Amino acid sequence: MSVMVVVPDSEEGAYALEAGVVEAEARSTSLIVVNLTLGEIDLAGVPEGLVEKVVSRRGKDDRDPVDTVLNALNANPDADRLVICVARRSPVGKFLLGSISQQLVLRAEVPVLCVKRPVS
Amino acid sequence: MSEAIGGKGATELALPPLRPGKQQRRLDVIAIVATFGGFLFGYDTGVINGALTPMQKDLGFGSVGEGFVTATLLVGAAIGAIVGGRLIDGWGRKKTIQLNAFIFLVGTFGCVFAPNLDVLLVARFILGLAVGAASQAVPIYLSEMAPQERRGSLGGRNELAIVIGQMLAFIINAIIGATFHGDNVWRYMLVVCAIPAFALFFGMLRMPESPRWLMSKGREDDALAVMMEVRTEDRARAEMAEVRRLAEEEAESKTGGWSDLGTPWIRRLVIVGACLGIAQQFSGVNALMYYGTQLLKDAGFSDSAAPIANIANGVTAVIGGALCLFWAVDKFSRKGLILFGVIATTISQGLITLAAFTIPDGNTFKAWLILFLCDMMLFFIQLTLNVPVWVCLSEMFPLRIRGFATGLCIFVLWSADCILVFSFPIVVGAWGIKMMFLILFVIGLAIIWFVRNFLPNTSGRSLEVLEEHFAAGDFLINDRATPAVGHGH
Repeated sequence: MSVMVVVPDSEEGAYALEAGVVEAEARSTSLIVVNLTLGEIDLAGVPEGLVEKVVSRRGKDDRDPVDTVLNALNANPDADRLVICVARRSPVGKFLLGSISQQLVLRAEVPVLCVKRPVS
Repeated sequence: MSEAIGGKGATELALPPLRPGKQQRRLDVIAIVATFGGFLFGYDTGVINGALTPMQKDLGFGSVGEGFVTATLLVGAAIGAIVGGRLIDGWGRKKTIQLNAFIFLVGTFGCVFAPNLDVLLVARFILGLAVGAASQAVPIYLSEMAPQERRGSLGGRNELAIVIGQMLAFIINAIIGATFHGDNVWRYMLVVCAIPAFALFFGMLRMPESPRWLMSKGREDDALAVMMEVRTEDRARAEMAEVRRLAEEEAESKTGGWSDLGTPWIRRLVIVGACLGIAQQFSGVNALMYYGTQLLKDAGFSDSAAPIANIANGVTAVIGGALCLFWAVDKFSRKGLILFGVIATTISQGLITLAAFTIPDGNTFKAWLILFLCDMMLFFIQLTLNVPVWVCLSEMFPLRIRGFATGLCIFVLWSADCILVFSFPIVVGAWGIKMMFLILFVIGLAIIWFVRNFLPNTSGRSLEVLEEHFAAGDFLINDRATPAVGHGH
């Protein structure tokens, strides 16, 4: 079994990764990190040996980040939990770019753990 | 127009040196034939400059029609750039360029035999499709055939071919205008476009497909066979690894899309890139390249002298473009060159405005002064804003969003061109060139502010270093701001 965490290129990404680590440790499973950024992500803060693999976006088929995550779930059937960090979005932003979180909650076939960014 | 010139993604590999021989000559022939695409592009966009006036008399339309005739080609080009981008991936470079040449022919004959404005507009739109697709396909084909030592100069050659095509169109238009008479003369001007289109079509029949594209389709043996044609055998085999790496890199560059604009630093970069495209077009370069003859008539040249004076514009553009490629582009920092360019261009526009407002009409001195100032402006644009902007666009985006981001910026650039070129004759018709250049001058001031405050300097840094800076929110990468810590002696 493993926990899959979705890390986008934003503050939410850092919180999601943190929550993913906590969840994986609590369930004593490994962690699969889905990197939705267009670069590399820094896994220095993650305990050694916890990360089973990192899935990155590469090429045209990964243009839609939602597809990347759903494909990763299909390719890793032992992942039985998805961790994401959700944030408030403006209606305009949501209209223009859609909501990755909403898509994942509705379409993922495993239970989804949504954490929120702490209000500062 | 290319996004593949002078890019610095390629890390140097140790390869056997290029040796002269039949493969080198074959490569030269390929470069010449493919450059016909750029030449054709220049000729087709430039030929309207000079053909418009007789066309207007013959078919009977006003300044709005003038705007439409010129701008429909650009609407086609914006669409052609997108469709062409897909075709070069799916169909291959060679077939796309051949299809382009064929569409060039269809569009050309459509224009030549157009009985009225409506048919002419449709034909110009079709021509635009080929122009836009060629602007994508030709530089990519050239850069993929070229060995890495010659990649920069082959890509730049396409840009030079465009301005040379425009210059030749001006010259041939002036000759035809002086030899033939009657309102039908524009049809003779346009039919000349068919010659380079034929040359491109039949030339490309004998050209090989790009090895990088073959590799991206998994046709490794075919790719090697092409490499053997254009390289010595040891070199061909050694270069296959690089071809493979570049094919993978290209696939990776198509990763990002709309959803990544949700990331603020990426969104900011894409907006800056799009504004840079707008800035390049609102320099007014194409207004001069398309309406030079009319503009010079407004400035005071006679109907017969204006097409000849217009040749000066074409020659200046070629000189500026050549100086840029062979000297300026690698000599100065990217941002410095572009900033200098927008300032020099805006000053020229200010002087044109001043001359047009203060010197009374009907003065030969005025006509010559405006010609001189227009050429000064064109010279600076070609020297600093054409190739450097394309290179900057090819360098400023992180690899995994490069395909999407440059595509979007090129679309915005064509749209800006289209808006300017459509409104130019209407503004000039209603208020004269003085108002047009006043508007360009004011926009120019805004562009100077934008370039100074928002454009990152991309030259002299690896793409990885750039990406780190951008992701950390440091966009300007101001060299002077680097703290001088640890230099105490």
